[in-house]
Amino acid sequence: MLGIIIGVLSVVTAVSIGEGVKQQLTGQINKFGEDLITVQPGKTVTRDASGQITNVNLFSSFGTTSLTEADLEVVRNSGGVRLAVPLSPINGIAEYEGRQFSQGIILGTTEAAPEALNQPVQYGAFFSEKDANQNGVVIGTRVAQELFQENVPIAKTLRIRDQTFIVRGVFEEFENSPLTPTLDYNSAIFMPYSVGKELTNNQALIREILAKPTNVAETEAVAGSIRTALLSAHAGQEDFTVLRQEENLAVAGNILDLVTTVIAGIAAISLIVGGIGIMNIMFVSVTERTQEIGIRKAIGATNNQILSQFLIEALMLSLIGGIIGVLMSGLANYLLRIFTNLTPVITLPVVGVSIVVAVVVGVIFGVAPALRAARKNPIDALRAV
Amino acid sequence: MAIIELEEVSKLYGFGDATTVALDEVSLKIEPGEFVAIMGPSGSGKTTLMNIIGLLDRPTHGKYELGGKSVARLRQSQQAKARRDSIGFIFQSFNLLPRLTVLDNVALPLAYKGMTQVRRQKAASKMLERIGLLEREYYMPRHLSGGQAQRVAIARALINDPKIVIADEPTGNLDSASSRLVMELLADIHKTGNTILMVTHNPELTRYASRVIFMHDGSIMEDMQSEIGEVPDVARRSMYFMPRTTEEDDLAGVSALMQAIPESEAKKSVKEKKKSVKPKKYQSRKKGKGK
Repeated sequence: MLGIIIGVLSVVTAVSIGEGVKQQLTGQINKFGEDLITVQPGKTVTRDASGQITNVNLFSSFGTTSLTEADLEVVRNSGGVRLAVPLSPINGIAEYEGRQFSQGIILGTTEAAPEALNQPVQYGAFFSEKDANQNGVVIGTRVAQELFQENVPIAKTLRIRDQTFIVRGVFEEFENSPLTPTLDYNSAIFMPYSVGKELTNNQALIREILAKPTNVAETEAVAGSIRTALLSAHAGQEDFTVLRQEENLAVAGNILDLVTTVIAGIAAISLIVGGIGIMNIMFVSVTERTQEIGIRKAIGATNNQILSQFLIEALMLSLIGGIIGVLMSGLANYLLRIFTNLTPVITLPVVGVSIVVAVVVGVIFGVAPALRAARKNPIDALRAV
Repeated sequence: MAIIELEEVSKLYGFGDATTVALDEVSLKIEPGEFVAIMGPSGSGKTTLMNIIGLLDRPTHGKYELGGKSVARLRQSQQAKARRDSIGFIFQSFNLLPRLTVLDNVALPLAYKGMTQVRRQKAASKMLERIGLLEREYYMPRHLSGGQAQRVAIARALINDPKIVIADEPTGNLDSASSRLVMELLADIHKTGNTILMVTHNPELTRYASRVIFMHDGSIMEDMQSEIGEVPDVARRSMYFMPRTTEEDDLAGVSALMQAIPESEAKKSVKEKKKSVKPKKYQSRKKGKGK
């Protein structure tokens, strides 16, 4: 029964971690605002005629071309678009007083970025349109803590690629969850797009364009018109993806489901091992109770009645094991919440499926010993001591 | 009409050279209400006969009719049902289920009949009361003495009101006081009209029987009615009754023993032995029936 307990425990915990991450993801994505439209290079999703996502191609965003400034203009001028902000990664390592910050990303963007990201600047201010050519940067909290080792390093200077930049502001801490396909903006340094372009000798690529519609209710329509506009700008080639936030969730959820399925599959193996354990125990039990089976048959039990008796015993074993497994999984989730930043969530369908699977495993692995019990010859069985 | 009718029933094990004849064309008729005691040395086929009559085993040849109906065409599940409803078993080693209480043990055949728990426990209680063990209802079998356990087993055998009670050495593991109790109980049951078949080694117990059957090597040697309360002479002398061959003597090591004793002494004891053995005509094994 221990095998069943461990099996159910692993499966339920794995799935609930996945569920928890999904829910965190939903929360995070919702924070960005449900009216956020992201335009990315590469065809990450396939749509059918009505625009519904039919397929997610996770790996097509790797190794593709980028979006261009022309694309940015097209998006800006699309019907119903209130703002469009580019995100352009810039190669380089930020340095301050001999320390380097290499984990983050340096992004060139425009003044509407805080609005696009739905995130206020906690200290200082974001650069405005007239600062577009100045070397002022806004950093995320992790950059502040690790590079400058203080929370408010306003007016401090850092160097990127041999140029000096001054810190104008620090973003409020972005909510993050593990496994997000989006960037960790807390480790990002935002600089004006034109400065970034200059820094890289006009080789900066635009990795993402964030857009917001004038009217939240029209988000879907605006996304559609952006798509159409870009399609014609790209001469009919759909080598880009326009996603609304809720669709973003679908993409992320897809990745997550894959990982969860793999882990749950591995955990399911231990369920099978548990079933084999039950089968072994039942075989031993049948052998030890041979005489009892003989007596029962002599009294008038039919083969089927003996079969049911042993099957029900196997079923009980696996049912109780399943229930204990679920309860222990609850305990494990609680401990995970305390000791890590995961927030696993147990949903009812998972519990139900696990218990059903545990019971089925018990019945399947209990059938062989039960059949052997049912088929024992009463005379031989009575003789056995 | 005979409740049990066997016609030329044989039971063979193995084949070819290694064939063992457990029952050799046995024919037997038992009327309802008889108390039959079956005696014989080990290996005479008594237990095999009981197994076949009790539907635990099938004969290799021959016909067996139980209550007028042929048993040959019964499927295993029907056999089980017949065992449950028409036959009650009592074993030498009691064979109570150790993990059930006395009450549940007695109620077990009713459970296989499909009765609900409350009703069958009530019926089991009544039966225990009838045999006088009601205060031990919730005991476990290991807490009972041998005599009590055997009486519980008898209660279990009777719970379905079977037509036939088959007892295989019921007092084999009991002391004389408990044996007495058990046999009195069986006699009571017999008085109420049940048919009882009892295998026993103890000639004294034939006192309770209305019919005594002797078996040897798979055949019925002697089959006689007897008065209840009397132990037939034949039973008392049953040890000497069995025919012997010199082969048996050899196997028993008697001749080897004889050789160790000085010849004059040996001749004397052998002569004495020979007096009580029946004449040669019983040496044939095939149809050695009666005089």
